[in-house]
Amino acid sequence: MPEPRLNPAIIKLLLLIATLLVLPHIGSLQLIFIAVSLLLIAWCAVAHYFKRFLPNKWLLLALSLLLAFLVLRLHGMSLGREASSSFLLVLLGLKLLECRSNRDVLAVIFVSFFVLITPFLFDQTIGLALYSLCLFFLLLSALVVNNTNLSNIDTIFPYRFAGVIMLLAMPLMLLSFLLFPRMIGPLWAMPSDASNAISGISDTINPGQISHLALSKETAFRARFNGQSPTQNQLYWRGPVFWNTDGRQWTLSPSKTIKQQAISGPASTTFQYSIVMEPHQQFWLYALDSPIKAPDDVKITEDRQLISHKKLSRARAFDFTSSVQPTSETISEKDKSRALSLPDNTDIKIFQLAASWRSGTSNSLQLINNGLAFFNREKFYYTLTPPQLGNDPVTDFLFDSKRGFCGHYATSFAVVLRAAGIPSRLVAGYQGGIYNDVGGFWEVRQADAHVWVEAWVKSLGWVRIDPTAAISPNRIQHSIDLDEQRVGDEIKYFIDPPDGLAKWGQQLSSIIQTVDYYWESGVLAYGPEVQNDFLANFGLHGWEDMVLWLAILSGAFLLIFSVYLYRLNPNKTDPSQKAYLSFCKKLARRYDEKRASDTSLAYFGRISESQPVLREKLLRVRMHYLRCRYGGGRIEPLLESIKSFKL
Amino acid sequence: MSLSIKKRFSLSRFSRGERTQGSSIDLNHRRVFILPNKAGLTLGFVILLMLVASINYSNSMGFVFTFLLASAAQTSTFFSFRNLSGLQIMSVKNAPCFFGQPAAASFIIKEAEGRTRWALFARIDACIVYIPRLLPNESYPLSVSIKPDHRGLYSPNTLTLSTSFPFGIFKAWAPLLFEQKILVFPTPVAFGQALPMSNVIDSDGAITSIEQGAEDFVGFKPYQTGDHYRHINWKAWAAEKGLFTHQFSSQHCPEVWLDWSACSATDTEAKLSELCRWVLDAEKLPVDYGLRLPDSVVSPSQGFSHQQHCLTLLALFQAPPHA
Repeated sequence: MPEPRLNPAIIKLLLLIATLLVLPHIGSLQLIFIAVSLLLIAWCAVAHYFKRFLPNKWLLLALSLLLAFLVLRLHGMSLGREASSSFLLVLLGLKLLECRSNRDVLAVIFVSFFVLITPFLFDQTIGLALYSLCLFFLLLSALVVNNTNLSNIDTIFPYRFAGVIMLLAMPLMLLSFLLFPRMIGPLWAMPSDASNAISGISDTINPGQISHLALSKETAFRARFNGQSPTQNQLYWRGPVFWNTDGRQWTLSPSKTIKQQAISGPASTTFQYSIVMEPHQQFWLYALDSPIKAPDDVKITEDRQLISHKKLSRARAFDFTSSVQPTSETISEKDKSRALSLPDNTDIKIFQLAASWRSGTSNSLQLINNGLAFFNREKFYYTLTPPQLGNDPVTDFLFDSKRGFCGHYATSFAVVLRAAGIPSRLVAGYQGGIYNDVGGFWEVRQADAHVWVEAWVKSLGWVRIDPTAAISPNRIQHSIDLDEQRVGDEIKYFIDPPDGLAKWGQQLSSIIQTVDYYWESGVLAYGPEVQNDFLANFGLHGWEDMVLWLAILSGAFLLIFSVYLYRLNPNKTDPSQKAYLSFCKKLARRYDEKRASDTSLAYFGRISESQPVLREKLLRVRMHYLRCRYGGGRIEPLLESIKSFKL
Repeated sequence: MSLSIKKRFSLSRFSRGERTQGSSIDLNHRRVFILPNKAGLTLGFVILLMLVASINYSNSMGFVFTFLLASAAQTSTFFSFRNLSGLQIMSVKNAPCFFGQPAAASFIIKEAEGRTRWALFARIDACIVYIPRLLPNESYPLSVSIKPDHRGLYSPNTLTLSTSFPFGIFKAWAPLLFEQKILVFPTPVAFGQALPMSNVIDSDGAITSIEQGAEDFVGFKPYQTGDHYRHINWKAWAAEKGLFTHQFSSQHCPEVWLDWSACSATDTEAKLSELCRWVLDAEKLPVDYGLRLPDSVVSPSQGFSHQQHCLTLLALFQAPPHA
């Protein structure tokens, strides 16, 4: 095929597309790459109108080398998502500058298709998906414009074609999305940069830890209960459990797993629910305190943590069962000593405080209540902006600043309990959530992050103690109202139901959250596990079934489509021709065969020779046939003249 | 018309095309084939890369757009097919040509289904004609240059009508092989001798020059299309008396014999070339010329059809090679 000359109109379309492709990367890629690619696009735009600014081959080569070096310099040799996205953006800009022929345009469009999906590696919101769908449509249109060499991109034709094809491609895409086997895991180890910029609870806890989350509106997870929900103050979402402390911070240590229990206890204390969890790049999961049943690929540990078999790197849905009834357990000697160990440099004042809580009682529960009463009695403030603490944060907090967030209260309480000889540990997770009555689910935000204490009480087992509740009961009864929250202000809670405009605002945000919930649970969480469960409903098990049915169903779809197209264009035969041909067939049965090369004159002439009687009638048929087929005459006389034969 | 299994899967059906009896072919699913072209394979590679990225990051939206792109590519094949199907291609009788000179195979492409067709390519051997678009029900006269490789009756190679509409990633093509012959005359070549003048024979048997022969003047007659310009009475024309031509007695019209044995060339093809040159030259002169070949003789005459007759004899002389 010869290369038709480059169509100048398409450059404008490509410039628009490239600019729109760069925009969603703002915020996830380093600014320099955004700037470089936008500059390259601008350069191309200038060169489009003033040809003398077009770069020559050598300049382009030098530029490419320089930019490739820049990517390598800033990202190293990793094939991570940031490095590859930056690289693709720069490549897109360079290729655009180099557009000389239709083939270059194709290359730009193909690179654009890849760049289209790179923002999703960072964020997968509905808005971005719709935006990308529009871009996808523009790219298809650009392909049509490029292929037909349209000089005018304002005509509707290429867009109509692209739109029709995109709509027709939807069913096939859905089939592939549902049936393409997802169990093929990562093909190579995910580069480490996939886990940066995560929010949520980290694997160490220090007193000030949680407060950086307190103003975060980000969703941590959403939970939908089958049947009734627990009350708000029962909503302790349990996460990692911390046993070890060095006085400043608490760290994780591995725990033994246990077998899952059979569901027992009264129905009022057992809750079944499904959770759609945002990717947090950690092994642990969150569940209502305390989980008793989890899917097969999730382990339950002795200290009631849920550990997934791999880091949660994408949104996933889980079905859990939890019981809010405390279960009686035993404690091993080893655990007991773990839960009592304190660093050697623990301040003497802490032991004095512990002794004061112990005075006059031998009952552990009484001691704990004394401790909670201490927090209530002394001038402790619950605040999101606590002062900086020194080297010994627990002592500083308890005896000096007395202002803090849940992290301060829980860590110091646990330390004092240990000093008093009561085994205790720290649990991080979330507390509360906002009920969305449009979607019927609980939305738990990062702002709901919480830390509390568990203490071992003989005959009761591990008991949850939340010192924060003693200082600020509202924190446990209500969620923090982030829209009203200002740094340094008093904390505002969702206490009174809003009215008027605020009510409508809340309703709208509920609807948006609901759409997002279904987006997450239906589309984004559709991974190997969900796919397995979903397809098992249709009797499909394993990837062989999926591939087989993907082939069968898409084949059937294509077949239906081709039949439809075929029916749309049936062989259009002129009615007069149809009548003429069937007449010839009838004649052939009685007299002579009509050869393919015979005209009506030759054929009728041959018959007239052998049957001179028919000559008149045949001439009439021929006259009416020619008049009807070529002269715009009516068909009735032809039919009548044929009928007169009585064949 | 159904095909036998062997014919249905023979490779030549996809490249050379089925032989046809008539002079018109309707494109349908039996004639149109489709495969990805180079750009399509590249796109396939890009889709594969996108799939690998989606799998590696278990990215749902990555999957969505990868599959959407693949599905759109798949769906576009229907539109490539529809861009060709329903076209009617008719072969047109071709004018004869001289061997070694540019010639053209002519066709008419008729859009019969009332849809606009885009970006069609018509190709015979290395010559490609690009048709940007066909309007609904338009009849497009297509002429593709060909280079016959021998004199005589030449059948042009397969005409391939193709398109990569709409995305340029799939090529749909229809190979069309018509029973269409082009008459190729020998190359006219002068071998020193301009015309065998010595052979100009007067009707009375005396050898004379053409100029003398032209003087046997009988009278005037009104001009008729086809009269030789040398015979026009220009003086009368200049005096605005009308257009007249000199009339010569037909008995007195000089004759010239273009004789095979009089050729200065020795080789058969060269002799044919020389005779061809003479025929063309003689037609320009006011003489009757005859042709004498080893196996046939054409008695002297003149005019377009006489010339064509002589040239055809030369073209078909002794079952030309490859015929």
